[in-house]
Order: sequence, then C-alpha cells, then structure tokens
Amino acid sequence: MKYSAIALALAAALAATPAAAQGGDAKAELAKVKPKDFPTEPIEFTVVYPAGGGMDVTGRLLAKTVEKVSGDRIIVNNRTGGAGMVGHAYLATQAKPDGYTVGVIANLMWGDAMLRAQNRWAYTDLEPIGYINSDALIWIGPTEGPYKGMSVKQIVQTAKDKPNTVRIATVPGSMWDYIVDQVEANFGAKFLRVPFQGGGAGITALIGGNVDVAQGFYSEFRGHLEAGKVAPLGVAAPDRMDFLKDMPTMNEALGGNEYQWIIIRFAVVPKGTPADRKAYLGAAVQAAMKDQELIAEYKKAGVYFDSKLTNPATMLQNLNEYAAREKEFYQKTGRLK
Amino acid sequence: MDAINGLMTGFGVILTAQNLYFCLLGSLIGTLVGVLPGVGPLAALALLLPVTFTMQPVGGMVMLASIFYGAMYGGSTTSILLNIPGEAASVVTCIDGHKMARQGRAGAALGIAAIGSFIAGTLGVIIMTFFAPAIAAVAIRFGPPENFGLMVLGLVCTLYMITGSPVKGVLMIALGFLCAAIGIDVVNGRERFTFGSVDLSAGIELLAVVIGLFGVSEVLGNVETMAKSTLVSEKIRGLWPTLNDWRQSWRPMLRGSGLGFILGLVPGGGPVTASFMSYALEKRISPTPERFGEGAIEGVAGPESANNAAVAGSLIPVLSLGIPGNPVTALLLGALVIHGIQPGPLFVTQRPDLFWGIVASMYVGNVFLLVLNLPLVGLWAQLLRIPYRVLFPVVLLLSVIGTYSANKNVFDLWVMLGFGVAGYVLRKLEYDLAPFVIAFVLAPMLEQSMRQSLAMSADGAMIFLQRPGTALLLAASALLIALIFRRKRKIEGGMP
Repeated sequence: MKYSAIALALAAALAATPAAAQGGDAKAELAKVKPKDFPTEPIEFTVVYPAGGGMDVTGRLLAKTVEKVSGDRIIVNNRTGGAGMVGHAYLATQAKPDGYTVGVIANLMWGDAMLRAQNRWAYTDLEPIGYINSDALIWIGPTEGPYKGMSVKQIVQTAKDKPNTVRIATVPGSMWDYIVDQVEANFGAKFLRVPFQGGGAGITALIGGNVDVAQGFYSEFRGHLEAGKVAPLGVAAPDRMDFLKDMPTMNEALGGNEYQWIIIRFAVVPKGTPADRKAYLGAAVQAAMKDQELIAEYKKAGVYFDSKLTNPATMLQNLNEYAAREKEFYQKTGRLK
Repeated sequence: MDAINGLMTGFGVILTAQNLYFCLLGSLIGTLVGVLPGVGPLAALALLLPVTFTMQPVGGMVMLASIFYGAMYGGSTTSILLNIPGEAASVVTCIDGHKMARQGRAGAALGIAAIGSFIAGTLGVIIMTFFAPAIAAVAIRFGPPENFGLMVLGLVCTLYMITGSPVKGVLMIALGFLCAAIGIDVVNGRERFTFGSVDLSAGIELLAVVIGLFGVSEVLGNVETMAKSTLVSEKIRGLWPTLNDWRQSWRPMLRGSGLGFILGLVPGGGPVTASFMSYALEKRISPTPERFGEGAIEGVAGPESANNAAVAGSLIPVLSLGIPGNPVTALLLGALVIHGIQPGPLFVTQRPDLFWGIVASMYVGNVFLLVLNLPLVGLWAQLLRIPYRVLFPVVLLLSVIGTYSANKNVFDLWVMLGFGVAGYVLRKLEYDLAPFVIAFVLAPMLEQSMRQSLAMSADGAMIFLQRPGTALLLAASALLIALIFRRKRKIEGGMP
C-alpha cells in the first residue's frame, strides 16, 4: 500500500527531528533511572477518546515532549468507544503490564470504574505515574436575549421562580449533569435539561439560541468569548481562573463548597507494571511536564495546573482524595450503594 | 470585493511549491483512502495528524482537507466495480453504479462520478468563497427541532432506496433502527440492549456494519460463483460517458451539488446523508423511476456530486465558526488547536492567510483530483479483469485493516464478520441492504434530536410546529409519503 508507505516514511522522518534536537539535563536525569532492558520498542500512549478532541490533543502534545526528553519512540493510539469506557476497560483488564502501555486519561475514569465497571475492574487497577493538567467546568450564558447579563444566582433564581423554562445543556450521566443536580437540590430550582453528546455541542446550541445556559471548558468556548458570542458565568473550581479573573467560582456565586467539577488529566500504567519501568515512565512524564514549550502549549489551550498535584511526592495521595470525594457524591446521591 | 481580495491572498499563500506539493499529496492519499474499502477519511486523518505537527499550519491543513474531499472522489470506485463501497458516503452508488459495471459500462459510471465530483467540489468552494460567513450565521440557528425535521425527511427518503418488495424494505429500515438503539441512551446515559457487555456499550460501529454488509457479504456471495474467473463480462464498452450520458447527468449533478452543500452545513447532514437524499431526489423526480436500480446513470451522478458538495459545506461551520458537524471536521479542528490556532468566529479575520489558503487550495485540489482520477478510470476498469482468487483475499484483508484501524478494537472485527454473514443471508433472501445502513445512520440522530427538542420545549411536541423550519421539513415529509401512496395506487390501478 503506497499510502501507508508514504505515511510511515514521513512519520519516521519527522519524528526523528525533535528527539535529535534536544539533549541536555532532562535526558541525563532520566538516564539515571532508565532500566537496562527498557524500552526496546515503541511505547504506546493510549488515549481513550477520539482523535482531535481535547484529550487527544493533550496526549499528543505530551507524547511529543516525552519523545523529546527521553529519546524513546512513542505511538499515540486512540482506543475509543462508550465515551471512554472501552479504552478504560482495555487499560485495566487487557493491556499487558510490561511498561509498553501508558494510558493518558482523565478522572472521568473514576466514574466509569465506580458506576459502570460492574466490579470487572476498579480504579486502583490503573496506577497514576504523572499529573498532566486540569480543566474546570464553566457555566456560560448568552450575550443576547432575556438571559443576557444575568449572573449565576439570577439564573438559578429564574429557574426556581419559573420552573422548566430555563434551558441548560448537559451531558447525561456525567459531571455536566451532577452539578445541575446539586444546584436543583440546593435551591429547589428546575431546569429544562437538554442532553448533548459533549460540551462543545451544547455551546453551539447556546450560540444558536437553542439553550440558555451551556457548560464547558475554557478551550471549548474561548473563540466565541473573544468574538463576544458568549459570557462566562461561573467556574466549578475551588479558586478563580488566572485567565478569567472576573469570573466568580460557583461556590462564591451560590455559596457552599461543593460545586467543584474538574477534569484532571494524568498518565497511568496498568497495575503490575514492573517497578523500575514504572519509575522510569513516571520520571519521563514528569520531565516532560517541566518543559517550558509544553507548559506554554497547554496554557495556550486554556488548561491550568493544580498545585495539589504538581508535586510528584504528594500527587498520588491528593488524587486519591479527589477520587474519594467523587465516591462520596455518588453514595450521597444514591448512585453508588 | 472582500472575497476576491481574500481569494487572491489565499492563492498567494497556496501557490508555493511546498504547499502545492502538500495539496497534491493529500489529493493522492485521499483518492487511495477512498478507493480502499474500509479505510475511510477519518482513520486516514487520525493516522496522518501527527505528521502535520512539524509542518507549517497552512501546509498541514491543506493536506488534511484535501484528504477529506479526495476520499469522496475515490469512494465511488469500488462501489461501481465491486459493489463494495469505499466509504459510507458511497453506499448508494453501489445500487446503480455496480449495475452499470455489470452492463459493461464501468468506464461511463467512473467517468461521470469523477466529473460530478469535480463540478460539485468546485461549485461548493465557489459558494464558500463568497458566502461563508453569511451562511455560517444562518446554519448555527439550526437547532435540535430543525434537525429532527431533517431526519424525518431523511427517513422518508429511505423509502426511495427500496428496490424490491416494500415489506422487506420497511423491515430492513426497522432492523436498522433496532441495531442503532444498542449502546448508551442519549438522554439518561444508561446502557440499552448491551447485555452487560463493555464492547456493546459503545453501540455497533458504523464502519464495521458497512464493511461487513457490503464488503464481506459480497465476497462470500461471489465465492459461490468462483467458476467464472472475472467479475464482469470481458467486454467493457466505452471508457467514457457518451453524449446521452451527459444529457442525463448534468441536471442531477447540479441538483446533487446544491442539496449536498446545504446538507453539509447542518449538524445532522454531511456526506453520507447527502448522498442518499440526492439518490432519493433523483428517483423521485425522474420520469422513468423504474430505471433506478437497473443501472441509471443519474443514480451515480447525483449522489457522487452530493457527497463532494457536502464536504465543502461541512467545512464552512468549522472554518468560519469553529463548530464541527461531524467527526472528520472535529479532527480538522483538533489539528488547528494543536498548531496553537484558536478556531472560532474570529478565525477568518485573525488568520486570513490560513482561511483563504485552505479555500484557495480547494480550487487547486479539485483540479488535481480530476486530473488524477480521469486517467485512472481506464486503470480501475482493468481491475475487473483480476481473478477472484487474487482480488477477494485482498479485499478481505483491506476490510479487516480498515475496520480495526478506526477504533483499534478487536470486537469490531467480530461485528464486521457477523454482519458479513448476515448480509450474505439477507441477499440470498432478496432483502435490500442500503435501507438498513441508512436507517442505522439516521436513527441515533433522529432519536437524539427528537428527545433534545422535547427536553427544551415547554409545550411538548408543539415545538415541532412552532419552529417554522421544522414545520416546513415535516410538511415536505408528509407530502412525499402522500406521493408514494398515490403512485402506488396508480400503478396498482393501471394493472389489468
């Protein structure tokens, strides 16, 4: 097949350049923990969402930088389906724990493990080796029509005074839905929930005037924000975002501290991966995350870095705390017995 | 005029040796991707995405876009020659295209498909040049209720796909709906009909269904007739479309271009929907609808134009608003983001070089593709002379590679095989396969748009009548159904 030959030749030629261009400290550091017999073949970075999406971009940028700092060959593979479920199950139950499979995943895996895995696997089957970045869920409103200029509080009040009139875009069975659950339960409000397959589709519906409130990540609506088509209302994170200092947190706007819905992206290896290989891969990911170019790329994409997770020494403990917090929510709302 | 200035900027950007090379390379890869059954534009783009990282953004985007529309050129080739669609947007081309090939008119069918693709692609990009921002502003208003109206119209159009027994045809449509219901419920996120299987929780993969039903079952069916050494009678009459072919084809090409472009713009549209709605349209307005299914050249000219125009249409919301309507355009959007470019409404003004560069490259790319594809017609027609024992193992191999490459999920291969056997049995029992696939494609969008509309409506189902766009589309659907019944009565009444 001519076409794959071209693709392979191009890929090989281009992949060689960044690795060769970089030398220096990171590489020397890594060399110290590098096992003798590893890696002898390309390492697969498994992304469980489709090519081109936010998670895929994150994974590919990371892979590019890990190649640069380690000199190892990385292949990014999208194993998609079931909104990540198929890929998560693959990583937890099928992937060989030999160090050649690294999952670039998000904390959405916890929900899959706790609610949908039916005890076939648990989130502890995937061992975190390095934190990547975070993205907090943001409520956005329109810049025209009756809801123009309203704050989160005012919108929630409207949904309470006139139930089933305010249309909000959600993604069923996920944090997009859970935060609406919380708001409705705490304020006695009732929204018209319009289901979409992802945050981006809901934002499109907001701009088209088909919903009144949408929820999404900064990178998903930044273009529309700059064009004045949408207004940021509140962010479901503990602190305000650096890039939108004027936007309150949902906790500030509504009171309380439970409105925290954040995508946390991190790299994992399947449980049972040899300790030396796991340590090496962890060091490679952490070295990549120190690369200024990569940090700049991620910042440009609109993500932020959670100071609780950027320190490798306490990352695991804090990640587990976040997972426990999510479990508590599922138990409290009767989703998990 | 702004558009003219913009286009000049674009040609300034694109007419460098390097960018022309990427455009040509993309066209070539696109054609091959289209020709190879199973390997679709989505898989190819995902595979080549990393290659564009180190390229200039213009070169990278030009290459990726040309793969997308190039695939629409190549897709018809195997539909016509082997009755196996190169990708989903060429399923309907099998119906009349392959009949033509069996009548020794493969050359004419391939030629018309290539020329129709060129005309539609070029018309699409001309409209894009002058009206992109205005069109995008209208297209974004197209919400769930309008999408529902469109899907209902699409469903009515599938009735025109039925060539044999109407009862069997409707059964296949129902079966398509059932199979599409497997997976995660779009509203409450719960699993349906998965029997606890992780693999089924994702639903059934469209690509595996198409390759199984058309590719594998075609191979199975032909193994029986292995006694003959080639697919089609040795005689291939005329490699080029005749004057009469032209007379019959130019109107379908123009109609297909218009229809495809509009359908490309809207969220539920895209090349697949465009191709079969164009087929239904041609069959509906043809004075001789009985020729459809028996090698009518309009059944090739219309759909093959429509899927190319739909590509141009679907690029408009992505480039002028940053809103993708299908997985391929979502991937193009991702490519922009990786290059550090913020897609969105300001993209055209912030990066005129990139926007107009891509537009200009589409003029060039369509010319490349026509020049590439016309001489290939003769070569492809020779494919028919390859003996079964060589051709079919190759087709099967490509089917397996193509299916696996989409998700890297082995389960999809079993789905492909299962649908291959099912397709073989259904063909034996004279069931149409095209209505099944089309219902399978439409069902999730129909369900989602209906339930979204009801969720956002304060007055329940009244929303479908309150929105003028939806009401219009539903009225058109009702009219078409009425016409089908009237004609049926007329035919029955005319029989002695």
